[in-house]
Amino acid sequence: MATSVTAPPEDAPRTDPSRRGWRRLPVVHQLRQSVGLQRGMLVAGLMLTGLFLLTALFAPLLAPYGHAQLRDADGPFGAQQPPSAEHWLGTTVGGYDVLSRVVHGSRTAILVILVAIVLSLFAGVLLGLVSGYFGGWLDRVLVVVCDAVYAFPSLLLAIVMAIVISGGQSSLFGGILAAAISITVVFIPQYFRVVRAETVRIKNEAFVESARVVGAGHWRIMTRHVLRNATRTLPLILTLNASEAILTLAGLGFLGFGIEPTAAAEWGYDLNAALSDVTSGIWWTSIFPGLAIVLVVLGLTLVGESLNDLADPRLRSRRAAGSADTAETPVVPGGALDAGPGGLDGIEETHR
Amino acid sequence: MTSVSTGGRRTRVATAGLAVTALALAACGGGGDEGGGSGGGGGGDALTIGTSDKITTIDPAGSYDNGSFAVMNQVFPFLMNTNYGSPDVEPDIAQSAEFTSPTQYTVTLKPGLTFANGHELTSSDVKFTFDRMVAINDPNGPAALLANLAGVDTPDPTTVVFNLASGNDQTFPQILSSPAGPIVDEEVFSATALTPDQEIVDGNAFAGPYVITNYDQNNLISYEANPEYQGLLGQPATSQVNVRYYADSSNLKLDIEEGNIDVAFRSLSATDIDDLRGNDQVEVVDGPGGEIRYIVFNFNTQPYGATTPEADPAKAQAVRQAMAHLIDRQEIADQVYRGTYTPLYSHVPDGLTGAITPLQDLYGDGNGGPDADKATQVLQAAGVTTPVQLSLQYSNDHYGPSSGDEYALIKDQLESSGLFTVDLQTTEWVQYSEDRVADVYPAYQLGWFPDYSDADNYLTPFFLTENFLANHYSNPQVNDLILQQATTPDPAARQALIEQIQQLEAQDLSTLPYLQGAQVAVVRTGVEGAADTLDPSFKFRYGALSQG
Amino acid sequence: MTTAATELAAGDPAQEDAPAARSRRGSGGLGSYVLVRFLLIIPTVFILVTTVFFLMRSTGDPITAALGGRLTAEELAQRVSEAGYDRPLFVQYLEYLGNVFTGDFGTTLSDRRPVTEVLTTFGTATLELAVYALVVAFAVGIPLGRLAAYARDRWPDAVLRVFAILCYATPVFFAGLVLKLVFASGLGWLPVAGRASTRAEIELQFLDDPTGIYLVDALRLGDSEVVLDVLEHAVLPAVALGLLTAGVFLRLVRTNVIGTLGTGYVEAARSRGVAERRLLRKHAYRPALIPIITVIGLQVALLMGGAVLTETTFEWKGLGFQLAQYLQARDFVAVQGIVALLAVIVAVTNFVVDVIAALIDPRVRY
Repeated sequence: MATSVTAPPEDAPRTDPSRRGWRRLPVVHQLRQSVGLQRGMLVAGLMLTGLFLLTALFAPLLAPYGHAQLRDADGPFGAQQPPSAEHWLGTTVGGYDVLSRVVHGSRTAILVILVAIVLSLFAGVLLGLVSGYFGGWLDRVLVVVCDAVYAFPSLLLAIVMAIVISGGQSSLFGGILAAAISITVVFIPQYFRVVRAETVRIKNEAFVESARVVGAGHWRIMTRHVLRNATRTLPLILTLNASEAILTLAGLGFLGFGIEPTAAAEWGYDLNAALSDVTSGIWWTSIFPGLAIVLVVLGLTLVGESLNDLADPRLRSRRAAGSADTAETPVVPGGALDAGPGGLDGIEETHR
Repeated sequence: MTSVSTGGRRTRVATAGLAVTALALAACGGGGDEGGGSGGGGGGDALTIGTSDKITTIDPAGSYDNGSFAVMNQVFPFLMNTNYGSPDVEPDIAQSAEFTSPTQYTVTLKPGLTFANGHELTSSDVKFTFDRMVAINDPNGPAALLANLAGVDTPDPTTVVFNLASGNDQTFPQILSSPAGPIVDEEVFSATALTPDQEIVDGNAFAGPYVITNYDQNNLISYEANPEYQGLLGQPATSQVNVRYYADSSNLKLDIEEGNIDVAFRSLSATDIDDLRGNDQVEVVDGPGGEIRYIVFNFNTQPYGATTPEADPAKAQAVRQAMAHLIDRQEIADQVYRGTYTPLYSHVPDGLTGAITPLQDLYGDGNGGPDADKATQVLQAAGVTTPVQLSLQYSNDHYGPSSGDEYALIKDQLESSGLFTVDLQTTEWVQYSEDRVADVYPAYQLGWFPDYSDADNYLTPFFLTENFLANHYSNPQVNDLILQQATTPDPAARQALIEQIQQLEAQDLSTLPYLQGAQVAVVRTGVEGAADTLDPSFKFRYGALSQG
Repeated sequence: MTTAATELAAGDPAQEDAPAARSRRGSGGLGSYVLVRFLLIIPTVFILVTTVFFLMRSTGDPITAALGGRLTAEELAQRVSEAGYDRPLFVQYLEYLGNVFTGDFGTTLSDRRPVTEVLTTFGTATLELAVYALVVAFAVGIPLGRLAAYARDRWPDAVLRVFAILCYATPVFFAGLVLKLVFASGLGWLPVAGRASTRAEIELQFLDDPTGIYLVDALRLGDSEVVLDVLEHAVLPAVALGLLTAGVFLRLVRTNVIGTLGTGYVEAARSRGVAERRLLRKHAYRPALIPIITVIGLQVALLMGGAVLTETTFEWKGLGFQLAQYLQARDFVAVQGIVALLAVIVAVTNFVVDVIAALIDPRVRY
């Protein structure tokens, strides 16, 4: 379990949305809380996620070549070369080193995830907070708008946004921003729904009422009292959305709206470029970027699901359930106050 | 939306009746074979062709793209057409065609022509065809090709006189074979608006080698040989052809491999074609292609261009020539395109009348390869400080999925000489089209597919002072020579002029051509005739194909 | 927060009078809830149509997309102007709205077909695939979800959950390709792509008044070979798309069954000595259906709107497939038409789901 102890500190700051909240680091806390199989899944998820983060962090050291490098001192690499001593995972149809592309691709993925989540977190949380706290017409309009956008297939929206945004000239940053913003548009309604629902619930609770009686201003109540309680469920959504971001990016790449190969390495683009290789028996160009996507999504989703289960006393493993279930309010399934229809499970969109 | 003549409606009823009969037959036959009830034409089983083309509309006035034109070539007749194996045009359903005065091009139709629906095909239909194309002038249509056409006269039912605005236009016969040229039935087509595809099919308004018996746009089209066709191409070798439309070329590849289709034409990925070459179930057939890829230089904004701070035409030309020395066309063709594109050493592609290879002689190692030393020399001689900063643009979504690899390699070739630093960028197509004419890109990728198989179509649009590139290139000598060749009736004299233009352009390098697309068809072993139609006419005729 | 502590029989009329039915927003009973909920369909559709109109127009016009590499800038500008695309956006928008209100969705720009025809032709194809996929999703997702809940925290649960995540984590175009390679190319059991073989397609075309749902048409044709052919073509896309949805269902069913298993009335039933299996089937499973119905509703709506990636991978020429094609061609008339239909489908499905949920559980009415 040594790895599981080192992994959380890296993970924690990323998933921590608020500077004030969380005295108990969320992931560490849940790791302690978990037992048995549930702990196993969480640990596996954390290990995969940690591996992903480490790869992204040390990409230049790990990758043998640059992401857009076509030749070295010995001349050009050549296209679609099978795995060899020089190129452990072979080369792509464009003549890039597959290993280097896969390693560098983790950086692109994490950049897109970070930008997408930071943007949607700010916009979604703010809107949800204001909408839920004040209610009234603004609330209704925002709910209808978000429902409308939420009902829209995310990939389609992302495609349209990608065209709109990438209208200018491309670059590494432009490409990443285009992908991230298109994903953001899809995410905002999700954060909005969750935070709004929590805010509506919390604002009627005694401690908020008392703060109001004491004469605290709206802004203060919102930030001090409501926000820190309303954002408890966010880490779960964060991990789920992070994996969605990767899949959306891959879908964009597949349909030809992704990031260009010389600007950055991107798994979805590489996978798409490798599709016709597969039909010709060239397996190494698609398997590795494909595997990278699957493993990262798997890791993030395992973390997300485990957190989800641990946050809900009914889903927590029976042996661990005794400790805290009376005090906590279930945040997930059933009932009227859910984030999406049917709880967090409903939040998830599939990329078909 | 459009009104149909009563004749059209009557035929439609008749066709519907036929369809019902066919249905009844099929129902009786149970498992039924395909051959039932088809008449005319040579024998052979039905042939199935797969393609990733897309059809806009089969109304000639409403489309100007390869996918739609491919269908028109099977079902509509032309006055002038290219015979198998040749880039040059001959009368198709015409008996003769010639300049009877500098501004009058007179075409005599063969007598007794009819459309498949029984309507007579006369000069009146021909006049109707061209008048309606100009009148409709659809934004997606090819009416612009008829800019030189002032009017059409029909002295008698088999004679058509085209009145031209400027005289002796040597490209006019070619234009009659271009997307502006398919002849349509005036009793089925609307004179003022596009006619919906289904009405055309229901009206059976076809007079080409084939008629369409079943039309499911961009999914499946069934053709049957047209016994009424009396044109240049002769009766089709196979009487029944089905064409399936694919969106994903890897499915096309798998289906030809599995034998679900007999022929795959346009477009398989380079990797797939390479793989299929090693498959003895299928045969890969190559032919010359009319598609070219080139880099355009903006003479104002390229390094040392006219509006840059250090403007210097001589240095600017040296930069262009250095690039011509450095580009390794063979490497791009091999690595990125697996031989589905071939190196191009002129502005006029190989296979066309008058094409030479001046870029091979002038640049690189003389054998088509690159030469970094010569590039260094030419830059030094002009006093250019190296490395030259060049920003290069390409479109990632218009010229196929390999553009990214293509330009990554070009960037690499230029930079590995140490003479250039390339800032490579990409933009999606619509924005790209707007930016490139607004002087945003100093150097950028474009491709070209010809309207007709004549060298003029690779010169006039590009190198006249007023050209569609809008790259501020102007060479009065080239301009005059281009105008002169277009009106030179003597073929030899015209060819000499075309060669001279290529020589001059190789010096100027308004554009730097580097690749020519081969036409590649993949056929199941035993299917014959693909090589005959993969010719410099750049028209793929289904009639040439047969199951051996 | 207590979960509904009664065994719920869907449509129990007594519930309408339950005190809990009082809306959180103060509007009255079920009737007015349904009305308000129904009226909300209009702004939802309107917002989507408007958003897509302005987004699509800002992505450039189809004429430049088609002819940008052939014509001079002046010719291009002239054609764009003739088509009316250079007029103020708002004027074009009003014109579009006006046309839509009169039922005229226009003619697509990139392949010249009436949008209504596009919607019916490709809509039926999508509907067919959606039904197949749902069959797979239900057949796989629901029983496995119950199994996972029953075996919770033991190894079958872990295996099933990882399976569910993998269903979701594998990009469908990648999974589709692998399926094709194995079952079509490798084993040769199933066709590669498309909805039917060439011969079957031709036979189907000759059917009078075809429904566009190939299986129905093939059955009407009465040709068993065609029926088989159509079914064979449906297997791979249905499995690829169905598994994706099955992953969602599996997790959903598991979560909710476990959720209800832990609640008081199930415990009470357990203490009464109700067998564990019956407990699972009757007491835990039924109430768990409420959130499941809501999610399934949304999934169905999204399936009806077309699965862009799956349809593209398998050449299944449905709405999603066409949408990707039209987007590439910047054919905004077509995209707007498809999105409008999609918006209506999603909004109406949501409405129906909400009404069902409100019927089952009065607390939902807020």
